[in-house]
Amino acid sequence: MQIGLLCALIPLLPLLGFVINGVGFRRVPTGLVGGIATLAVLASFLIVVSLFMSFPAEGGPQIVPLFDWISVGDLHIPFSFQIDQLSLLMLLVVTGVGTLIHLYSIGYMHHDEGFGKFMAFLNLFIFFMLLLVMGANYVIMFIGWEGVGLCSYLLIGFWNKNVSYNNAARKAFVMNRIGDLGFLLGIFTIINTFGTVEYVDVFKQATSLPMGDTTVLVIALLLFVGAMGKSAQVPLYTWLPDAMAGPTPVSALIHAATMVTAGIYMVVRSNVLYTLAPQALEVVGIIAIITALLAASIGLLQNDIKKVLAYSTVSQLGYMFLGLSATAYTAGMFHVITHAFFKALLFLGAGSVIHAMSNEQDIRKMGGLRKALPVTFITFAIGTWAISGLPPFAGFFSKDEILAHVFEHSKVLWALGVLGSGLTSFYMFRLLFLTFFGEFRGTAEQKHHLHESPATMTIPLIILAILSAVGGALNLPGGGWLSHFLEPIFEGSRQVNPEAFAESTIEHSTEYVLMAVSAGVALLALIAAYVMYISRKAVPASDEADRSMPEQVIYNKYYVDELYEAAIVRPIRSMGDTFYSFGEFAVDGLVNGVAWLVKQSSAQLRRLQSGSIGFYVFAMVLSIVLIFALRFFIRF
Amino acid sequence: MFPIVLLSVFAVVLLFLGFLKSRSVLLPATLLFLVAALVANFLDWNKTYLYFNSMLRTDNLSMVFTAIVLLSSFLVVALSGSFEDDEAAQPAEYYAIILFSLVGAIMMIGYENLVMLFVGVEILSVAMYILTGSDKRNLRSNEAALKYFLMGAFATGIMLFGMALLYGASGSFTLAGIASYASHAQQGLSLIFYVGLLMLLVGLLFKVSAAPFHFWTPDVYDGAPTIFTAYMSTVVKTAGFAALLHLLAASFTYVYSFWGIILAVVTAITLIAGNVTAVYQNSFKRMMAYSSISHAGYLLIGLAALSAQSRQAIVFYSLAYSIATISAFGVLMLVTRQRGMQTLSSNPLSNESFDAFNGLAKQNPLLGLAMATSMLSLAGIPLTAGFWGKFYMFSTAVERGQIWLLVVAVLMSAVGIYYYFRVIIAMYFRDGATEPIRISPVFRYVLVAAIILTIGLGVAPGLLQGLF
Amino acid sequence: MTEFLAFFKTLTPTGYLFLLLTALTVISAMGVVTARNPIYSVLALIATFFCLSGHYILLNAQFLAAVNIIVYAGAIMVLFLFTIMFLNLRREDEEAKTNLTKIASVIVGGTLMVMLIMIFRAKSSQLPVGSTVGFEPNTGMVENLGHLLYGSYILPFELASVLFLIAMVGAVMLGKREAGDRHF
Repeated sequence: MQIGLLCALIPLLPLLGFVINGVGFRRVPTGLVGGIATLAVLASFLIVVSLFMSFPAEGGPQIVPLFDWISVGDLHIPFSFQIDQLSLLMLLVVTGVGTLIHLYSIGYMHHDEGFGKFMAFLNLFIFFMLLLVMGANYVIMFIGWEGVGLCSYLLIGFWNKNVSYNNAARKAFVMNRIGDLGFLLGIFTIINTFGTVEYVDVFKQATSLPMGDTTVLVIALLLFVGAMGKSAQVPLYTWLPDAMAGPTPVSALIHAATMVTAGIYMVVRSNVLYTLAPQALEVVGIIAIITALLAASIGLLQNDIKKVLAYSTVSQLGYMFLGLSATAYTAGMFHVITHAFFKALLFLGAGSVIHAMSNEQDIRKMGGLRKALPVTFITFAIGTWAISGLPPFAGFFSKDEILAHVFEHSKVLWALGVLGSGLTSFYMFRLLFLTFFGEFRGTAEQKHHLHESPATMTIPLIILAILSAVGGALNLPGGGWLSHFLEPIFEGSRQVNPEAFAESTIEHSTEYVLMAVSAGVALLALIAAYVMYISRKAVPASDEADRSMPEQVIYNKYYVDELYEAAIVRPIRSMGDTFYSFGEFAVDGLVNGVAWLVKQSSAQLRRLQSGSIGFYVFAMVLSIVLIFALRFFIRF
Repeated sequence: MFPIVLLSVFAVVLLFLGFLKSRSVLLPATLLFLVAALVANFLDWNKTYLYFNSMLRTDNLSMVFTAIVLLSSFLVVALSGSFEDDEAAQPAEYYAIILFSLVGAIMMIGYENLVMLFVGVEILSVAMYILTGSDKRNLRSNEAALKYFLMGAFATGIMLFGMALLYGASGSFTLAGIASYASHAQQGLSLIFYVGLLMLLVGLLFKVSAAPFHFWTPDVYDGAPTIFTAYMSTVVKTAGFAALLHLLAASFTYVYSFWGIILAVVTAITLIAGNVTAVYQNSFKRMMAYSSISHAGYLLIGLAALSAQSRQAIVFYSLAYSIATISAFGVLMLVTRQRGMQTLSSNPLSNESFDAFNGLAKQNPLLGLAMATSMLSLAGIPLTAGFWGKFYMFSTAVERGQIWLLVVAVLMSAVGIYYYFRVIIAMYFRDGATEPIRISPVFRYVLVAAIILTIGLGVAPGLLQGLF
Repeated sequence: MTEFLAFFKTLTPTGYLFLLLTALTVISAMGVVTARNPIYSVLALIATFFCLSGHYILLNAQFLAAVNIIVYAGAIMVLFLFTIMFLNLRREDEEAKTNLTKIASVIVGGTLMVMLIMIFRAKSSQLPVGSTVGFEPNTGMVENLGHLLYGSYILPFELASVLFLIAMVGAVMLGKREAGDRHF
């Protein structure tokens, strides 16, 4: 079949699903809703697979123009898709994981009265995500970017009867707007500099620029601000943990596997620009390591199963950016993929637990669930093993590749990275042990109710667990398939800075030592967690219990929310108040004055409309006289 | 050419269909005829023909304008709902007159000879006089028709005088002949030529209700039955602007320095008169009349600048404006009818006021959405077709360097936002005792189509640009 | 004055006829507007049309002259008279116009007239006078007109019928008696 049609179909199918379920909300039978939504995404996935199969290994990007979209003066922005190695990979992840999560949602959400609406929103999200990934220029990416933000907002606040959920949704929305502003400014700067927004043209022009060009630095930084918002980096990360208010499949799909990695996708997409601006990469690296450590340390003491996963997501996103900052774009993408597998798995597993526990999310009230939920337990354990970076599962390979590149780049960052990896291992196993081992600590009623989830929920878990286990094979150390596959994407970067892409200088022995170190640290953390939570059977204290000072600080997430409240929200509000009382006078006066003027002249003009034909004709003749006078008798 | 022949025949057929007992066949038949004409219109696509000794021209531009006119009439006819609730109505005659009047409109779009322009203008105008007065028992309708007729006759006289003078000066009725005369502008042309040009312009400006020749518009639009107001404010305006554009671009580019400033001043006055007066209106219908004057002003920007982008800008603007206007009038018709049944007051003034829309969106989300979309489009808010229309118009002014005109236009669109948003505020934020309004399926399709077109063109304006 | 007389001396009989007809046309046209009684108004209009037909004859357009008399002076004016008599407009409706509007109208209208005269008389608006050598005296005859109308102007000529059809349909539609309307 024609490639253009296929490409158009990929996003159109989920959109169709959205239209059917959205328009027919409460009319489409519940049994069909899930099927339609899932099939739409599955069909897209199959198309992507067929495209992927037929894609030439060394091929350049294929641009699929759909229609002329905007043309203003010299600026032409066509609506076109770009199919290349990078977008294909992202497409596979988005539609593949998306299909599984849709399937899972059928089991998880079908009791909800807004089930149809929920599935429609999920479809809409997939549509926008596909636009974001497939677009051949920054403007289409921006539309997708805004669209996924909107869907995220709608889905976080899906149970909109709860006020705090709505607040969480709003927080996510506002924080993302700050990032979007940066992104938008970046796009404008690109238009101004290159006169086009098409990736191909921009990057071609960019390769001829010198290293360290200031404009490119500005663009790279502005784009990174956008990425910070969407991918929850310090300081714009606090919305992501709050976003866990949404239904669990949403957390898995949007806030773990796909949307939050959009920032990484964007940086990888613009890799030429970032390679040209080493300072920007340094900024990225610093922010990334701060995010990774900060979020990991907060995760140590969280007691809400989803919050722990949320902070771990923030931390993992930090790792991805860390990889990018060392120009290890492939490693970053590799981690995006493996993270999508195991984090989706963990969230869905958490959802399964929550489902079984009748919506209980506090791990202090769980424990010993491995007997009641065997499938969930095994898959969750695999996910935990993978995220902790222990061999031989996926996380080990991707994280190690990032760390190896970082080691080459800066030893300090590497040490901090390894530390973070240890923290990750600790809190993840803490979560695992507290949830599935030991004695059941919930109420008797909950205990009675415990059950394994239905097949629609466990099948995605099993598939994702398999992927998390073997996903590392995509890119084994020493030149795996993925790095070879993605090579054409970084052609431009290689051209502008060959050194950054030179063969690794570290010897294999060093590399093995590095691997051993990070795996060892993770293993140590695992043992520590085992000792604490299984041997000693420690259970985290309740909220009111006394804590030591540092513990207190971490438990309260470093008081970042409070800090923002005190440092940003309140001053702005009081500033707003001041401006309001001052502006009320000046601005209102001005506005009202203008409005009054318009109204008065309107009242006067209205009088001309007397309704008398005589007057109308008179006015016409008078105007003709004036025009003649103007043209024939008055010289000017 | 094909639509002219088809429409003339179809209109006669419709008159005969009027003999049938059942009225229900009329609406589908008319819609079918319009679709047939629309299809026939595109038979000449990508070809340029001159028909009948260079009387009529078909090229892509004229076909696009014809398509806009036919599409507008399709939407209007679909909204008319066969006049099923009105015993005194004579739908067969109405539809026949609409089809006949389209012949005039197409002549105005494709003329190559001033005689064709004149006959076209007359066909369209006479049809409008009749439709304005078609509500025979309504005094306001009668008054409006009479006013329109008298003023229109006056304007026609001026226009005809202008044509005669142009003929006298250039010795030709054809646009090409006039253009070849005007091309000697360097050596000096007879003043008679310029007088003729001005008078012809005045006549045509009257038809598109540009200030200061606009005084008939509010009274006529207000008095005419709403459905025909929708027709007048879209089809007549589009045809009028197509005629003006073709006239100026084909014959008078050589003397731009003579008429450019006049048109720019007229544009500014039209913008101010339309927008500022609309602020004070309490009747929605009357507001729409002033708004149509103001949109004539925006369209005139493209003519006054007459740059390379003008054609595209005028095509896009007329399409965006027509769709938004028709759906707004469609919603108004439903609301007025509903209010008339509810309050049992036959006073149409209160039923057409802004207050009639209070709380509309809560009970009738579709109507609210349709109205809101068209108001946003008319106000020129981004992501609607109206935004790009204004954008293209303004960029033509920039191209010509008419910055002062641009400033006036931008200020006036800010004023426009005020009165367009009054409706939206009334619909969404006021409380009103409106009950759900029964919407017939055809109505629903038209409104949904209008919403999709408006948003679609707003999101992807390039779709239309690819056409020609 | 001598200039004026000299001008008259140069005139041919056609010129005298033209001046006479023009004066009559203007006077009767003013009569149409100023007459208080509608009947007089219509009669003045008929006179105007006759004068115009005279002009057509002077311009060698005999067919047009005949048609003008038949259609306008004959058919349309009779219709006007009938209508006016039916409507019983004998009592003189009081004019709502004040003196101010009248004066304003006269001033504006007069200015327009003066302007047009000045423009048309200006040197730069003179057109080259066509030569009478190749003039075809039969131009205005039915045969030539027919060739033209059914030749190059066939399309507007045919489409004018659409205009008349509209007018007919409209007249029937608006004039059709409905239940409850009064009979004349």
